[in-house]
Amino acid sequence: MKISSMNYLFKQGIRNIWTNRIMSVASFCILLVSLLLIGLTILMVENINQFIGGIENKNEVVIFLKDDADEITINSMENTLKAMDNVSSVTFYSKDEALSDMQSSMENAEDLFKYVEEDENPLPDAFRIRIADIEDISVTLMEINRIKGIDSIKSPTDFINILTGLKQFVSVVFLLILGALVLVSLVIISNAARASVDIRKREISIMKLVGATNTFIKVPFFVEGMFIGVLAGVAAVVITWFGYGELIKVLSQDMTLWSIMSVNGFIPVEDVIWRLAAGYLAAGTVISAAGTVMSTRKYLKV
Amino acid sequence: MVELRNVSVTYSNGVDALHDVSLRINDGEFAFVVGKSGAGKSTLIKLLLKEISPNSGRIMVNGFNLEKLKKSRAHKLRRTIGFVFQDFKLINTMNVYDNVAFVLRSIDAPLKYIRNRVPYVIGLVGLKDKVKCYPNELSGGEQQRVALARALVNDPQLIIADEPTGNLDPNTSIEIIELLKGINECGTTVMMVTHEHELVRQFGGRTINIEKGKITFDDYIGYAQ
Repeated sequence: MKISSMNYLFKQGIRNIWTNRIMSVASFCILLVSLLLIGLTILMVENINQFIGGIENKNEVVIFLKDDADEITINSMENTLKAMDNVSSVTFYSKDEALSDMQSSMENAEDLFKYVEEDENPLPDAFRIRIADIEDISVTLMEINRIKGIDSIKSPTDFINILTGLKQFVSVVFLLILGALVLVSLVIISNAARASVDIRKREISIMKLVGATNTFIKVPFFVEGMFIGVLAGVAAVVITWFGYGELIKVLSQDMTLWSIMSVNGFIPVEDVIWRLAAGYLAAGTVISAAGTVMSTRKYLKV
Repeated sequence: MVELRNVSVTYSNGVDALHDVSLRINDGEFAFVVGKSGAGKSTLIKLLLKEISPNSGRIMVNGFNLEKLKKSRAHKLRRTIGFVFQDFKLINTMNVYDNVAFVLRSIDAPLKYIRNRVPYVIGLVGLKDKVKCYPNELSGGEQQRVALARALVNDPQLIIADEPTGNLDPNTSIEIIELLKGINECGTTVMMVTHEHELVRQFGGRTINIEKGKITFDDYIGYAQ
């Protein structure tokens, strides 16, 4: 095909948007709403996952050492813990620190601890460690248990199991909602494309009768669908940028309620907008162009 | 050249549209195809355009054996034929120039050729001043002239006119047939389907009558004085 013909077909596609403006606006709105629904669902789930991640980071495993653990044992133990893949940080918490923290955190501590001699501290030395991936905590705890000199271990295993379950539940629900949304959007968008092509079936049959090839007829429809897809994608990016940005501004004004739920903050719009923009534009363009071109097929069989 | 040999068409609902029809229209001829509604005229046109295929028989149009021609290649056949329809079949969203130029654009004709050829053909049908008008701004006769210009623009070997005067007043009908006759005199084969026997008698020439899917008359008749 000559460049002049491609140029003509491209212009024809753009011109068709204006010529069939009512259907173009309808397709644009349907595509925009579908993209926004999918985008906002993704944002909501990413935020929920961040909240869960925030809660996960607060968990800590405390390893209490036996009374007879000497400095060499403690050093060796610290090195072993630091060498573990799933341990992200190791902090030694001496019995003296523990006693001092206990005294400062309790009212009337002076009365309570006045009979405790300096060398009669009943608290044990301990290590406070953080786990990198809490889903593997059971394996890590088994490894730690094998280290000599450990008296007991305190870990939030039940809490972690609940969190892991919650995370999996959110993922499954999200996938189901997303799948349903994509499916419904595809049906609605292809129906809009079909309606837009339907009103031009006479035009298509005339083009076929005067000897136009299927490709020659389809290219303007493709350009038209693609352009509407790009426009809807850009509009979705702009609405998400401002809408989501404003929403988190409003929600972040008073963090008291969120703090109760262990939510420290929301995902900033800048962190997600480029990924969403790419998704909006790719999905909008491909779905719209493919839907429009596929709708022409039935009328090309003249 | 159009040639049908023992062609029969039976639709899926059991209607026998054409039965063992044989016909030959030579290059440069002008032939009227007449018959009542339901006689099989439209089926004949659909066959020649490769819109449908016969149940039996052989069809040759402008050197194409339609039996062997795949539907996906039908555009090659259609580019050798110019069509004129009763309802004009113009694209309402395109002006006169673009409606006529579309045929040349679809065959990837050079831009310079399109710019010269389209105004020339529009001038031939007497619509030089209407190039920028849209179909809904034209009278029925003018719309049919645009359809004629579109049929002529790529210099086809054959023009098929299906009831081209069906929606026109008697004077405009005569003008359109005179235009078709003029095109025929330049060497283009013309097949005009009509049910208006009066017009056929007025112009005369080869006349093929179809009744109940069969050719009942095929001869030359003289024109009325």
